[in-house]
Amino acid sequence: MVDAARHPKVDVRTYTEVERVEGFVGNFKVQLREKSRYVIADRCNGCGECADVCPIELPNYFEMNLAPRKAIDIPMSQSVPLVYGIDMDSCIHCYKCVEACGKLEAIDFGLEDEMVWEDVGAIVVATGYSHFDPSVMPEYGYGRFPNVITAMEMERLNNSAGPTAGNLVRPSDHQNPQSLAIINCVGSRDKRFNPGCSNFCCMYGIKNAVLLKQMHPEMDITIYYMDIRTPSKGYEEFYDRAREMGIRFIQGRPSLITEDPDTRNLYVHSEDIAMGRVIEREYDMVMLNQAAVPQPDVDTVSSVMNITQSPGGWFMEYHPKLRPIDSPTDGVFLAGACQGVKDIPSSVAQGSAAASRAGRILHSDEWEIEPSVAFVWSDRGISADGKKCGMCARACPYGAIEYEVGEPARVITAKCHGCGGCVAECPHNAVTQLHFTDAQILAQIHTVLADRPEEKILAFRCHWCSYGGADMAGTSHFDYSSNERGLRVMCSARLDSDFIYEAFRLGAGAVLFSGCHPQDCHYITGQPVGATRADRLARTFERMGMTPDRFRIEWISAAEGDRYADTINEMQEALDKIPKEELLAEIEELRPQMEKRARRMREVPQVDEALEYADEIKDAMALEVVE
Amino acid sequence: MSHDGATTDVRTFADEVRAVPGGEHLETCYACGTCVSKCMIQQKVEPEYNPRRLLNLVMMDMREEAFESPTTWLCSECDLCYPACPQEIHISGVIGAVKQLAIEAGHESPLETASVDDDLCTGCGICVMVCPYEAPHLVEKKVDGELDTVSEVDTDACMSCGTCVGACPVGAISRPGISNSEIAAQIGAPHADGVPRLVTFVCDWCLRSDDDVSLLESYAPDVRVVHIPCSGRIDPQFALLALRSGIEGVLVCGCAPGECHFKRGTYVGGCKLDLLNTMLGQMGLAHDRSASRVRFVQIGTQDRGRIRREVDLMLDHLDAWKEAR
Repeated sequence: MVDAARHPKVDVRTYTEVERVEGFVGNFKVQLREKSRYVIADRCNGCGECADVCPIELPNYFEMNLAPRKAIDIPMSQSVPLVYGIDMDSCIHCYKCVEACGKLEAIDFGLEDEMVWEDVGAIVVATGYSHFDPSVMPEYGYGRFPNVITAMEMERLNNSAGPTAGNLVRPSDHQNPQSLAIINCVGSRDKRFNPGCSNFCCMYGIKNAVLLKQMHPEMDITIYYMDIRTPSKGYEEFYDRAREMGIRFIQGRPSLITEDPDTRNLYVHSEDIAMGRVIEREYDMVMLNQAAVPQPDVDTVSSVMNITQSPGGWFMEYHPKLRPIDSPTDGVFLAGACQGVKDIPSSVAQGSAAASRAGRILHSDEWEIEPSVAFVWSDRGISADGKKCGMCARACPYGAIEYEVGEPARVITAKCHGCGGCVAECPHNAVTQLHFTDAQILAQIHTVLADRPEEKILAFRCHWCSYGGADMAGTSHFDYSSNERGLRVMCSARLDSDFIYEAFRLGAGAVLFSGCHPQDCHYITGQPVGATRADRLARTFERMGMTPDRFRIEWISAAEGDRYADTINEMQEALDKIPKEELLAEIEELRPQMEKRARRMREVPQVDEALEYADEIKDAMALEVVE
Repeated sequence: MSHDGATTDVRTFADEVRAVPGGEHLETCYACGTCVSKCMIQQKVEPEYNPRRLLNLVMMDMREEAFESPTTWLCSECDLCYPACPQEIHISGVIGAVKQLAIEAGHESPLETASVDDDLCTGCGICVMVCPYEAPHLVEKKVDGELDTVSEVDTDACMSCGTCVGACPVGAISRPGISNSEIAAQIGAPHADGVPRLVTFVCDWCLRSDDDVSLLESYAPDVRVVHIPCSGRIDPQFALLALRSGIEGVLVCGCAPGECHFKRGTYVGGCKLDLLNTMLGQMGLAHDRSASRVRFVQIGTQDRGRIRREVDLMLDHLDAWKEAR
């Protein structure tokens, strides 16, 4: 940290919050709130005389509230920069610190937060994680039984710079504990709190046990675990070493801790899985390895940076396997536990990777983007005529569309990721997407429904999930109906209602509207845009009196080949149940309505050429139908 | 799973259990053992009791072993394990599902259940109301040649808590080991050191730690301990009997609300003792509840050592009462 602060090309801003981020990759503008410390940084020499005279003592959060701090203090002894700051919420304005500071005149109660704008090319988000509060689990008695402590408290108690100078004592009577129980998975792998594994606690618990055993060989240390997870290099060997050192491992998740009211000793009740027997063991002290949870202000950072969250509140990466460092917003990168719980080696690796990803942007003059971006036909929109619309801007998950009444909407191409949500939302067909124009998709629909459309199941699939699901069904050799005809779009948000109307107008037997699961959407919030539209369509078709099975909405991931095959087979089954003449009658009956609703599609630029082209293909493909 | 539309119809034992309401979430168990140690049955009654293993027996389709497992029959559905389970499995639901299938397959509960004396039963229905397991129900049947309404206990449902025995106003229901006469004999049993000062009725489940149980025994001869399966088994007449035979006070210990081993036995016991204390007040024996020589305490699973405090408090209270007299 000191090294970084001294580096000529590194500018460290501590006690500063990011308020707003504008712009796009390579050209971000970031608004920072430099919070006031009420101390002039250039004048403070870090002598600490102000803190010595300050009469106010507060719990020291860095010491896990096990020691006091002053109302004017530094956050921790290695603070960078070494500048004292006043906690205005607890300051009583006695000005003793001002007196103590004397000639330096570093303390100024009149200072205010400063707002500054900075130009940056890339952003790395490394906001870390927070700890689960075990006091919400009454069974472990944390908060009620003084000798039940958390792993972070143990970290301070066992630290030579900590409040006890490294002398491990029990909070109840300040005696050295002779026996210690370490409980893993407190609040993690627990559907009541955090269903996920917290990744590093197994190693962390073993580390603490080994450290303590080295210092106090006579201490009886027991680790309660469900599964010990030591998946990285050298970890299993370390686990072995801990066992060899005489640290006891009991497989079994404790269900209860009770306390002897006189001795304040703790009894841990658990099953020993190996014996299948309930055991109740007495300890002087219990340490809870609490779960890692997202930072409490994760939602704020999410919205400021425009990063989505995975289930559980961790920041979502662009792709879990192929682009785990990139956020969905170009030029914003993720490092460390804010993206998902990880240990120090992985965090360091991800941090280095994020820095080099960011360096790639800083060192290039041009930036490549997806080719399938949106553009606006400025003569088609109504906004230029002074009418209000802005539906495209609302549908865009990236804020890539600038919209103002009186002017046609404008796409910031560098920000566009090419989902096509705006294209489908625009009621005037004024926006289109390169390589996925309305005309192109329409031509595809016409081609696949050229022959005996009533037998066909037209499946609209999104590029990232359900298309992959269909692929998976194929490579896994899951049989599904050969009447299925798949059409790929980048995102289910691209699926214009008019496509569905047109498909039914042409007499399609059934239509599948498919895409990613909501939390998996490749385009942050593309799926919800598509899902809303699909639900609206389903209601419309219901009102029209269409057989409900003919239009189906299904969210299928790229791994769910079985589900894709099952879905298509179920649709085929449903289609087979409708007698052919009834189906044809229904198609004919609904055709005028479909025609009316799909008519705007006909006005789309280039549609006539595209359909002509489609006709040529149909003619070229035309085969004698063998009855 | 099948991918060609044909449905495979293999019904395993696990499928059967899953199909019974409560048995659905069987397969998510990752064997952490929380349920086993949260429950006190293994510690107090049956070393072979182990819900985790029963879940595994079901998943491995070991039908007969599951039916014969003591876990199937001893679970009292107190549901202490359910809120503790990190996988949110309704364990008593799964066990209940296995038990239901076992009963359908002709297995019988090994518990010593309550039984009704048809001659004494008046068909008042109080047992039906108090039972946490809906085991007793009123039936029409011939008693001594005459058609009469009497209570009958479903032996499969009865968990042997004795709440109905304590509630029956005519003493028509009994259960071996805790019948009225057996408990009355314990209260009044002669002791070499004379009459005890205090009789403590302790439910079998409120003292989790065995240390606490032995601690209670160490108060002899001043304190006489009578073990009952549940505080719902208490009959107010026991308290009156104790006071009449010269014992100074009565302490009844039950589980904390929500932690009763027999669902709501502690509530039933509390109601009865509340009523008794009201009655004692009307009789002029105690001007308010704190002055009463009959007390009910509810001890939670984490209240290790509390029993000593409660007994000491009670003995102090009795000293004060004696002095005042």
